[in-house]
Amino acid sequence: MLLEVLQGTEAGGFILIQDTVKYSGRQLLKSYLNTALKREEEIVHVLGFETSEDELRDGLDKTSAQRLHFHNAYSDPLGWTANSPFTVHQFTVEDISTLLKQTPQAKAVTLVIDSLSWILRHHPPAVICQTLQALKKGGAVRTVVGLLHTDMHQRGTVGSIRHLASAHITVAPETRGMGAVAKTTRRTKSGKLMQDEQIFSINEELSVTVQSKHSHPGRSHNNTDESEVDPTANLTFNLRLSDTEREAKEKLALPFVFSKEKKSALLHPGPGSGRILYEPDANDDYDQEDPDDDLDV
Amino acid sequence: MFSELNSILNTSPESFKQGEFILVSDRQNDASFLIHHFLSFYLRAGCKVCFLGFVQSFSHYSAVSQRLGVSLTQAREKGQLVFLEGLKESLVVLLRGEPEVSKRSPSVDFLRDPGSGLRGLYNFVQSSVRGSEGGGADWGPPVLLVDDLSVLLSLGVSVVDMLDFSHYCRATVCSELQGGMVMLVRCEAEEEEEDSDEDSERLLRGLTHQCSLTLQVQGLPTGYCRDIHGQVEVCWRSRCDGLQNQKKLFQYKVYDKGTSFFARGTSSAVL
Repeated sequence: MLLEVLQGTEAGGFILIQDTVKYSGRQLLKSYLNTALKREEEIVHVLGFETSEDELRDGLDKTSAQRLHFHNAYSDPLGWTANSPFTVHQFTVEDISTLLKQTPQAKAVTLVIDSLSWILRHHPPAVICQTLQALKKGGAVRTVVGLLHTDMHQRGTVGSIRHLASAHITVAPETRGMGAVAKTTRRTKSGKLMQDEQIFSINEELSVTVQSKHSHPGRSHNNTDESEVDPTANLTFNLRLSDTEREAKEKLALPFVFSKEKKSALLHPGPGSGRILYEPDANDDYDQEDPDDDLDV
Repeated sequence: MFSELNSILNTSPESFKQGEFILVSDRQNDASFLIHHFLSFYLRAGCKVCFLGFVQSFSHYSAVSQRLGVSLTQAREKGQLVFLEGLKESLVVLLRGEPEVSKRSPSVDFLRDPGSGLRGLYNFVQSSVRGSEGGGADWGPPVLLVDDLSVLLSLGVSVVDMLDFSHYCRATVCSELQGGMVMLVRCEAEEEEEDSDEDSERLLRGLTHQCSLTLQVQGLPTGYCRDIHGQVEVCWRSRCDGLQNQKKLFQYKVYDKGTSFFARGTSSAVL
C-alpha cells in the first residue's frame, strides 16, 4: 500500500508523512516528488522551509526539473533579513493561491510542504488545519503532501492534522538491517480505513523498494495457501470408523465407568475371597481406646 | 584537535565537508572536549570562526586551545576568530546599569526583552561571518561554534526562538556561505524519552531534525570508570545516499592533550 500512496494511484487528497528524530521522512518525500515529476501533466510546487533549493533538487530527476517550482521559505522565513521570497506568515490560502497562479495552468497541481512542523511553530494548529482544509476543497491543488516531525508537537496537534489526511505514512527505523518500517493508513472515499505495515528501503535514485510486508491481509493469504494441502492425506492410522467397529467401541465398558455389576461385586464379596481373622492372645493388652498402643513408635 | 576523531568522521583540516551542521549533545557527561576539538580544527583549517561562548571565559578557551596547539589570542588579533563573551556581555546587562543606547551591544538583546527573540544574536553572527567578504585577510569558509545553546534556556529564551535562531544560522552559514556549524546542547534528563516535554529535550529533537551529523556524548551505562570516560554515539543523518542514520558507538578517554577513541570494550585497561 505504501507504493500505491507514493505513486498517487488514488488521486487527490492530503498525504501526510510523519517522522521522528530516529528516521527522517525526507527521503520518502523526495521519492514522492520524483514519481510525481515523472508524470507528464503534473506540476509540483514546493514550500521549502527546512531545506534549501539545492539540497532538495539534489538527486531529483533532472529532465523534468522545470516542472518543479520551489518557493524559497528557507533563507528568510520570518523576514529578519528583509529579502524574503516567502515568509511563514504568508501561509494562508490567498497567498498560496497567488503562488500557484504564477505558473501556467496545468491539469494536476501538487503542493509539497516541507515541513508542517516549521509552520506549526509559528501558527496555531487550528489555523493550519483550516488552511489545509481550504486548500483541499479549493480545487486549485489536487494533492497536498506534508512532512510532519511528530516528536516536536503535542499528541493532540499531531492527531488533528492526521484527521485531515486522506493517507498518512509513519516511518521508523527497522530494528535490524538498514531498512525502515512504514505504517500506512489510507482512508478511502467511502470512509473505510486500510492499514498496512511494510519494510522498505530507498536507493540513490530515490526509488522505493518494499522488502517484505508483515501485514494482516498478508497473513490470512498465507493461511489459505496452507489449507489447500490436506494434512490427512498420508496418515499411518485410520481416522474413520466402520459400523461394526463403532458397535464394538460402544459395547466396551471403560475401566473407570462405575457400573452396577462392579458395585455389587465390591459390596458382596463372593466365595474364595480372603478375610482377616484375629484372635487375641492372652498377653495381648488390647485397648479399645488406643488400638496402636503396642506399637513401638 | 584529535586526529582519531578526524579519522572516525573521515575529515581533516585540509579537506572537510562544507555546509555541515554538527550537533554535539551530552547527557550525564561533559562534551566540551569536542567543542575544543572543533575550535582548534576549524582554526587550523583557516576558516573564519565565530564563537559564541556562554559557558566559559575567553581565557579558559584560550588556555585549553594552547594545549591543543592553537593560539586564540593570535587568531583574534588576526581577525580570524570573532569571540562573543557571553558571560561578560550578559553580566553587563544583568548587573550593572545599562550603558548609553549607542554603546549597547545588540547581541544580547534577548536579555533586555525576552520577547524579542534571538534576532540580535543572529545579526551579530551574520555580520561577523560576512565580515570576511569585504576586505581584510582572506579566510576560508565561515564556521559558527556555540557553547552551549541550552544556557540560553535558563536565561529565558524559548525553544521556538532558539530553533528559529539555529535555522537562520544554518541558512546563512551552511547553505549560503557553504561554511560549517557546531552547536552543543546539554540534557538534564537521565534517559531519553520520546514524548518528554522538557525544554532541553525539545530543543535537542528540534536541532536533530536540522543537523546533518550528531555526536552524542553519554556516560557509561555501567557506571563510572577510571579508564573510560564515556561513550560517543556518532550518527550521520546524510541526505543524499542510501545510508540514512548510520550509527557508530565509541568509547573515549580524555587526556591532557588529546582524546583517544576506541571501539566498545577495547580499552587498554580491559585488554
